[in-house]
Amino acid sequence: MSIQTRSAPRQIATYAVLIIVSVIFLIPLLWLLSIAFKNAGELASSSWLPHALRWSNFHDAVTLIPFGRYVATSILLSVVQATLATLSSAMVGFGFARLRARGKRPLFLIVIATLMLPQIVTLIPTYLIFARVHLIYTYWPWVLWGLAGSAFLIFLFRQVFTNMPMDLEDAAIIDGCGYFRIFATIFLPLAKAVLVTGFILSFTAAWGDFIAPSLFLSQDQTTLAVGLSNGYQTSAGTPLNNALAAGAVLYILPILLLFVIAQRAFIGGFITSGLK
Amino acid sequence: MTTSVASRASTRTRRRTVETSTGWKRYRARTFYGFISPWLLGFVLLTLFPLGYALWLSLTNYDGLTGRYHYVGARNYTDILNDHDALHALTRTGIYTAITVPAGIILGLALAVLVNRPIRGRPAFRAFLYLPAVVPIVGSALCFKLLFNSDFGMLNNILGWFGISSIDWLADPTVFWVMVAMTLWGVGSTMIISLSGLQGIPQELQEAARVDGANAWQVFRRITLPLLSPIILFEVITGVIFAVQAFIPALLLSVQSASTTVTSVPQSNYLYMIHVYAQYFAYGRFGYASALLWVLFALILILTLIIFKATAGAVFYESGPDEQVARRREQSR
Repeated sequence: MSIQTRSAPRQIATYAVLIIVSVIFLIPLLWLLSIAFKNAGELASSSWLPHALRWSNFHDAVTLIPFGRYVATSILLSVVQATLATLSSAMVGFGFARLRARGKRPLFLIVIATLMLPQIVTLIPTYLIFARVHLIYTYWPWVLWGLAGSAFLIFLFRQVFTNMPMDLEDAAIIDGCGYFRIFATIFLPLAKAVLVTGFILSFTAAWGDFIAPSLFLSQDQTTLAVGLSNGYQTSAGTPLNNALAAGAVLYILPILLLFVIAQRAFIGGFITSGLK
Repeated sequence: MTTSVASRASTRTRRRTVETSTGWKRYRARTFYGFISPWLLGFVLLTLFPLGYALWLSLTNYDGLTGRYHYVGARNYTDILNDHDALHALTRTGIYTAITVPAGIILGLALAVLVNRPIRGRPAFRAFLYLPAVVPIVGSALCFKLLFNSDFGMLNNILGWFGISSIDWLADPTVFWVMVAMTLWGVGSTMIISLSGLQGIPQELQEAARVDGANAWQVFRRITLPLLSPIILFEVITGVIFAVQAFIPALLLSVQSASTTVTSVPQSNYLYMIHVYAQYFAYGRFGYASALLWVLFALILILTLIIFKATAGAVFYESGPDEQVARRREQSR
């Protein structure tokens, strides 16, 4: 009884704080949405909501800049890198989980250490090297980054494959089945959930990446992230903020939808990264 | 049932005989390296080699244009000491790190405690608070630029009710706080990590302490916090690494057209990596910039080591099930 009475005000305080913080956290996105539907005249007015939904802003957003081409590039690069990174990391993770060889432990420690490596420190010199071998202004860097796998996903796959029962490979080995076939036909199909998680996480990362496309690609072959960051202007150079907001909504929306559909993958990925 | 167990056991012994042969061992070792080769090649070519290349460049006067450049020894490194912009940038990065890392961890933990309580709508609250963390960086920067815009931003709109004339938040010195706010907006990722840590703490421990008369704060301070300390240590280390190399928010908040120039970043947002980036791509001082880059790399290594050393006594590691079993076996022997 005493616990009941004591926890009632605490319950209310919990709700109050959570509601306030949630609203504050949603405000930047709601403000963006509001501007995306206002017209230029309404911008400076004190009203927070648009008087009417100006869908024309979205038309401007996709026609004033080569929006379609940016989207196509973003999708292409994200899908290529995410697919390759997921499959390659699964393979490497399998190696670390299921095979034995000299040097395995130190190599795995290196994988863990690279998780901590600041990416920008390797990205800029990579750019300088790629510039010398004519790999900039091409999409090849994304293929190479994909093939090299991601330290985080390698770690994730290693955990999953380590925990699968020995019996799975025993019979196959007796039958004279090679490890690659064991991996491809037995283990990979069992790791479907992690494959999906890996793909979603690396797709989101590539879609959101700003610095690599802005360094490695020219302005007319770049991704939506870089295209949007350049903003929208009239021919006289006046910024078109409503079109910009609409473009940003279109850019963010696929990721938010992905988050709503596959919340567990996002959160699960983050938790695993935090635990070990 | 018994037969399947027996046959499984015989499979295992037959497999063991296969495994002990040296040919098999060699096959397995070769296969291991085959499997990890994509990562190993990537590590050598896309991590080790670039790092080494930058180290070599840092010892030269390479300017990226002329093919002729030569070894200058440690001169680039000693030049950093006389570079006032570099020291200013380092200070800004230090302030940014000292604010965002503790604030992010405390806020993340506080929110994690709240969304860990048995309340209605818990999944929705978790999703709302986490949502900003998945918004791509270009998207969040645009959100904050529009929110803090001097002509039509929400903040100036509110100030307008009180007759306060509009403030240009995206200029010095307030733009720094816009960047801090934008960073903390993504606190959901820290919250989720802390939450997973809270969920791993056995309820019985906290309940037992409550029965013994401890209040909520004492339970949190004496039980929850020590058990969370490895996770908090992880958050501190990743947080510091993330903050020290941060520069994209500063870049995206500063200019209308991000690709134009890094030199227009306001003084208060002139982070260390902005300086490095400017030396590379605005001034073409590739040798000097590479030295700055290596200083950052070394700084991160040193900071990580210091944090590990400093917290060695304060972090509490609960022994895992394997260790407990091993210890029990040891004792019974």
